[in-house]
Amino acid sequence: MSMAEWASTDFEAMRVIKKWKSRLALWVGQITLYVLRLIGRRGTSLPGFLAYRLSPDLLFNLLTQLDTCVFVTGTNGKTTTSALLYSILSDEKNLWLTNKDGANLMQGLLAAFLPHVTATGRLGLRKAILEVDEATLPRITERFHPTMVVVTNVVRDQLDRYGEVDQALAMLRQGISYPGIQLITNADDPLAASLGIERELTSFYGMDEVLQDTQTRNEVRDGAFCLMCGQEIEYSHTIYGQFGHYHCPNGDFTRPTPDYGGILRANDASLIVRWRKRNTEVEQFAVPSPVIGLYNYYNLLAAVATACTLGISTRKIVEAVTVYEAPLGRMQVYAGTPERILALIKNPAGANSVLRTIETDSRAKAVCFAINDADADGRDVSWLWDIDLESFLATAVCDRYFCAGHRALDMALRLLYAGVQRKQIEILDALSDVVKATESLDVPVYVLSTYTALYPLGTYLREASR
Amino acid sequence: MSEVKIRLGHLFPELLNLYADQGNIAVLKRRAALRNILLEVTPIKLGNELKVEDFDLLLLGGGSDREQAIVGKELAPYREDLQAAIEANMPILAICGGYQLLGKFYELANGERIPGLRLVDMETKPGHGRLIGNIAIEWMAQNESSKELTIVGFENHGGRTYHDYPALGKVLKGHGNNGRDHLEGLQYKSLIGTYIHGPLLPKNPHLADAILRYALNYRGHFSLLEALDDQLEWDAHHAVLQELLGNKKYARVRQRLC
Repeated sequence: MSMAEWASTDFEAMRVIKKWKSRLALWVGQITLYVLRLIGRRGTSLPGFLAYRLSPDLLFNLLTQLDTCVFVTGTNGKTTTSALLYSILSDEKNLWLTNKDGANLMQGLLAAFLPHVTATGRLGLRKAILEVDEATLPRITERFHPTMVVVTNVVRDQLDRYGEVDQALAMLRQGISYPGIQLITNADDPLAASLGIERELTSFYGMDEVLQDTQTRNEVRDGAFCLMCGQEIEYSHTIYGQFGHYHCPNGDFTRPTPDYGGILRANDASLIVRWRKRNTEVEQFAVPSPVIGLYNYYNLLAAVATACTLGISTRKIVEAVTVYEAPLGRMQVYAGTPERILALIKNPAGANSVLRTIETDSRAKAVCFAINDADADGRDVSWLWDIDLESFLATAVCDRYFCAGHRALDMALRLLYAGVQRKQIEILDALSDVVKATESLDVPVYVLSTYTALYPLGTYLREASR
Repeated sequence: MSEVKIRLGHLFPELLNLYADQGNIAVLKRRAALRNILLEVTPIKLGNELKVEDFDLLLLGGGSDREQAIVGKELAPYREDLQAAIEANMPILAICGGYQLLGKFYELANGERIPGLRLVDMETKPGHGRLIGNIAIEWMAQNESSKELTIVGFENHGGRTYHDYPALGKVLKGHGNNGRDHLEGLQYKSLIGTYIHGPLLPKNPHLADAILRYALNYRGHFSLLEALDDQLEWDAHHAVLQELLGNKKYARVRQRLC
C-alpha cells in the first residue's frame, strides 16, 4: 500500500469514528432526556451536557440540516425577543425549533435539538430560532453561518463573565463577520449599532418617538464614547440607559435611520411600527404590546423587524403577538391580596428599566429584591451599586422593602446607602419567606429576582395566588 | 464653627466606573454626613484641568484596558503634583485599573505596555487566565485602632502586580496581587491601591472610616470620628467572610482578628 493510500484509509477511519462518536453522543443525550422526563424532570441541561462532551460535532451536524436559522444574541432581551419571534413564526403547520428555556450555551442549544432528531441523526424540523450567548456566537459561526443574527443591545452585564463590555462587543463583531449573514440590530444603542455601520445585509430598528423622560438619571452609560475617535457622544434625545438619538460631535458616528422605526405615545399603548422599505415606500402598522416596560417594546420591535425581514405578513405578526404569553419573570402578575408581580433582573440596565416600569404604576407599593450570586446570576454583586435606585426613591411611592436570597444583606446595604431607612428594610432568611412576609400588606408587591431565584419564586407566588 | 468639609476628586467617572465605584462614594458621603462632615464630590472629566491642591482625597476607579490607556495619558502632566501630594500624605484610593495605573506600566497579553503614572515602583504583567472571585484579606493596617482587621470583596483582574511596598493585607482566601505571594494591594503613606471591589467600602466600614480620617488629617483636622451603628455592614461583611473561609477557619480568624 502506498503512503497516499495509507493516508486516505486513515482519513476514512477517522471519518467513521467521528460519525459513530456523534451518533453515540446523540443516543446518550436522547436516553438521558427520556429517563429524566420519566422521573418528571425538565432535563434542560444534563442531556445536552453529556452529548456535547461526547461529540461537539453533533451540534454542527444538526445545525447544517437547517434551511433557515435565526440567532438572537445581545446582553438583555434575548429570551423575550426569541419567545416573541417564536410565537410569530411557529404554528402547527409550520413548526420551528427553539431553546425556549434560555439555555443558550453550546450544550443548551444541543439539548433543544435532541427531542427532534431520529435515532439515525436526521433532524425533523427545518427552521430554528435560537437564543445564543454572546461568547458562544463566534464559536458557532466559525463553523456554521446562520441566516440571520439579531443583536438586541450591548450593555454592562455580569462582569465576571467576560471582563468588560469591550470584550463582549469584540466577540459579537467576530461572530457576525462572515458574508451572507443578515444582521438585525438596535440603532438606538451606540454599541450595538456600531456593529452594523457600513455593513452589508444589515437592518436597524429603533424608537423614532418615545415619551420624554423628565427625571434626571444617574445611570452608567457604556456607549458614551465614539468608537471611532474617542470623543464623548452627544444625545439629542435620551430614551433610557445608553439608548437614544445620538451623534459624535466630530461627525464620524451617528445613529443610523432605522428601517423599522417604533412610535410609542403612552406607556401601555400599542407600538406603532413605521417600516421604511428599500423602495422608499413606508408601511405603518400598530402592534399591541403583550409585555409591559419600555425595554420590552424594544424586544417587541426587534421581533417585528426580524419577522418582517423573514417575509412574514404584518397581519400574521399582529395576530400572533395578540395571543402571546410571556416567559417567567417578565412582569407576571399573580392576582390576590396582595397582588404580586414578578420581574427578572440581572444587570443594571435591565434592573433600571424594570424600576422605570414600576414607577409608572402610581399606586403605593412594596418592593422585594431576591439576589443570588450563583454562576448564572453573576458571582460579582457590585452591579447592585450601578442600579439607579436613587431616582426610583425620588419618584415611586414605596416605603416597605424586603431582601431575600443569598446576597440579601448586600442588597439591604445598597438600599440603606440609597437613603432607605433601616426600619423599612426587612431581611428574609429564605426565598420561601417572601409570600409569608408580604401576606398582610394591602399594597401590590413587586418582586425583583435574579435568575436562580426566579423559578422557585415563580412556584411560591403561583401557589399563593390560588 | 464652620462645618468641616472634605473635597473629593473623582477622576474620570465617565471612563473608570467598571466596578460600581459610585458605591464607594455613596459610602464615604453618608458616613461623613452622619458626623456632620460635608463630602464635596467633584467629577474630573476628560479635558478638565486637575488642580491637585484643590482636593483632600482622590478616587481612581477601574476601567477597560482601552480606557486605562486614555486616563494614563490624560494624567501624565500631573505626575509631579500627584507625587508631591502623596509624599505629603494625601489619601488616594485606586481600585483595579486605577491601581495598575499607579505603577510603571501595565503589560498586556500581546506584549504591549500601557505606561503608568510611575507614582510607585510597581509593575503589572500578564498571566494565564483572569483572577476572579470573592476575596478576604487580613488588613495589615498601619497605626489603625480598628478592632476588625478583615476586608472582604470581589476581585477580577488579568494583570499580575508586583511591588515591594507594604501590602494592604495578607490574603486569607482568593488571589490578591499576583496569585503567588498571598499579598493584596498596596499602602504607601495614605495612598491605597487594591484589586478589591464589590464595591470595596460598603462591607468594609472600618476602611471607609480610615480613608475619611486620612483626608481629615491631610486637611489639618485631628479629631476622632465618632462610632456609627454599623450592624448591617458587619452582618454583610461576616456573611461573606464565613461563607468564604468555611466555618472552621472563620472561627479561628474571628478569634484572632475581629
